[in-house]
Amino acid sequence: MTTADFELIVRQHQGMVYSIAYNFFNNVAVAEELAQDVFLQLYESRRSVESRSHVIAWLRRATTHRCIDVLRRRSFHNEVQLDELPETRDDQPETDPLLQEKLRRLVASLPETPRTVLILRYGEDMDVEEISRTLEMPVRTVWSHLQRGIALLKEKASRYLKEESRESIR
Amino acid sequence: MNPFDKELRESLQRREPPPGFADRVLNRARQLDSRPKHFFSWRWAAATAAAVLVLATGSLGYREYSRRAEGERAKEQVMLALRLTGSELRGVQDRLARAQRRVIEVPE
Repeated sequence: MTTADFELIVRQHQGMVYSIAYNFFNNVAVAEELAQDVFLQLYESRRSVESRSHVIAWLRRATTHRCIDVLRRRSFHNEVQLDELPETRDDQPETDPLLQEKLRRLVASLPETPRTVLILRYGEDMDVEEISRTLEMPVRTVWSHLQRGIALLKEKASRYLKEESRESIR
Repeated sequence: MNPFDKELRESLQRREPPPGFADRVLNRARQLDSRPKHFFSWRWAAATAAAVLVLATGSLGYREYSRRAEGERAKEQVMLALRLTGSELRGVQDRLARAQRRVIEVPE
């Protein structure tokens, strides 16, 4: 891989790498730093990169692994404080940016593996087999993390909605 | 797709990084290239250690071989000297025996 190839890869896949990191931490600064580090890791091991499809798989794997490493090292706590969330409005459009922001924060508060699986499934639109290859875990384990993640997310979301309706009654 | 899945998909959809991201990555990559290269590497250290070990073993082996060869040469020289001395002694003994025989045979 030449320097020109590397530049092309960065420009083509920056959205993918950055989005995985951003959805994982819901934090612009951490996502940018992490995404830069992933690309530099690729640059340093560019001689071992074989093909275009290999690059995409490599970037996804490196990004998810690094997200988990950073989470463990820095012991990030993304517990969502309900009063930190922005106020909701009554005139909600069809896609509600506030609701989406809340969902992102709830996703970023999930345990690391269900969080990674959810991000790859819904953010990267990967199927379970692809996720299984990326995370090097059996398909059944991916399914169980996916179901657990969705259940946790729904539980958190319903708790949040209850809290919100209680607030509106007061 | 149920509404929850739809919301989740939209929440986690791809987004572009802050402007200038790619340039910042490329600058850091260039800095990596211009960084002075370290000559030390574990691979080179291991190769050097192996070479030193081979040379040291070879040198010790050669010294042992030379010492033995020298010992063999010295032994051969001693054996030759002993053989020469033995043959000299036999010559002297023969001459003495002949002289004695002459003394016995010649009457006074």
